[in-house]
Amino acid sequence: MNAPDRFELFMLGDNEKKITEKIYAGMSNTSDFILLKEDHTLANLLAEHLKQAPHVLMCGYKLAHPNVPEVFIRIQTDGTITPKEALIEVCKQLIGAYAQLQREFTREYELRKMVSAGNQDQANGF
Amino acid sequence: MDYDAMDMDTEALGPAVKISEADSTHVNFELSNVDLSFANSLRRIIQAEVPTVAIDLVEFMANTSVLADEFIAHRLGLIPLDSRNIKDMPMARDCDCGGHCDKCTVILTLHAKCLGDEIMNVHASDFSVSSARPNQTVGNPIITDPEGLGPLICKLRKGQELHIECMAKKGIAKEHAKWMPTSAVGFEYDPHNKLHHLDLWYETDAEAEWPKSKYADWEDPPQEGEPFDYDAVPNRFYFEVESAGNIDPDAIIQLGISELQQKLAKLITGLGEKSNIDDQYDGPQSPGAMDDGAMYQNDGYQTAYGNGGAQSAWGGGATAYGTTPYGNSGQGGWS
Repeated sequence: MNAPDRFELFMLGDNEKKITEKIYAGMSNTSDFILLKEDHTLANLLAEHLKQAPHVLMCGYKLAHPNVPEVFIRIQTDGTITPKEALIEVCKQLIGAYAQLQREFTREYELRKMVSAGNQDQANGF
Repeated sequence: MDYDAMDMDTEALGPAVKISEADSTHVNFELSNVDLSFANSLRRIIQAEVPTVAIDLVEFMANTSVLADEFIAHRLGLIPLDSRNIKDMPMARDCDCGGHCDKCTVILTLHAKCLGDEIMNVHASDFSVSSARPNQTVGNPIITDPEGLGPLICKLRKGQELHIECMAKKGIAKEHAKWMPTSAVGFEYDPHNKLHHLDLWYETDAEAEWPKSKYADWEDPPQEGEPFDYDAVPNRFYFEVESAGNIDPDAIIQLGISELQQKLAKLITGLGEKSNIDDQYDGPQSPGAMDDGAMYQNDGYQTAYGNGGAQSAWGGGATAYGTTPYGNSGQGGWS
């Protein structure tokens, strides 16, 4: 009855911004990022890859409540780059990595189609 | 290993795919050289965020069958509809029309009345699909059975009637599971449980009581008395994607990847970085559109991917980061 609309899980509201940065004063070179209308799909991906990124000392994420599609990511860097730069860098790397996966998958799939078409031809006596 | 001399295969270090089985409704493949979060995000996105069309609104003109209106409406929602050319179709919510129009909605009508003594079956193939729609395939019920009938909607006895008008709209499975493009996605790694991500229950011997996965032959079994490797991470993932029929299985993967890339691109723009990438990711693109690297030709994005050049974007480097799956020395790639 009073359940929120399901599309609120992925549609940004009128005055909402996808991502906001809040500098965290309790630690050096640290920022918190709030991602609205996102979930583990993006949060875990980013957090895990930020941990592996150069100049990043610490990174973690949480989804405070399973019904609330808000991701919190905290990033601390060594000061060479800002947390924001680290995040942007990781996003770009990931876009590239997925682009490569797309190419790899397409290539393998096309190859497979050619092979199975060839097998069929053989079976048909061509 | 000298990475600089490695120019025969520029993508040697990035994600790798090996397809083991594929047909019109399935694709099974191994994804390697990636980490768990990368593979899991792909799994999550193809299950929840690849858009399809499904019946969303049903108007009942007549229903004298034994099934209640809402019961039939629920069944109608679950009928797979052709979503292969869905990119011509906007989400009804984003459409300029404000409600529903030919661009964002497909109308399916059905009028059946049983006049004979035999019980009459009403199938998805009895729908007539409006011709005013984004293209001539989107919204057609998927029919795969040999008789060509499609899913059964309801049965009518003599004198009973069903007259409905359905509006099919584009949506994603986060809103309702009827929009899922996949009926099942298998996701498996570490068939020998070397990483101890699982704690197998057993009576006397876990080894004897638990059946081996079919992927167990693909990886080396643990050596007798081998010490546990605390630093080991999974890097081979076995996907078994089963399409619900509305999108081809390979297209599901492709669209899922595009969807993820768009999400990441939106973050880059959201953070205020000048980025044309967002516009370019507007809507799913044909596979291979990026083969020539055109996607990244605007400033800041070029060079790294899709060039056949001598220097590998994935070539890694001297830093510790260079040894990670997507190892990029931090200078060769995105600069």
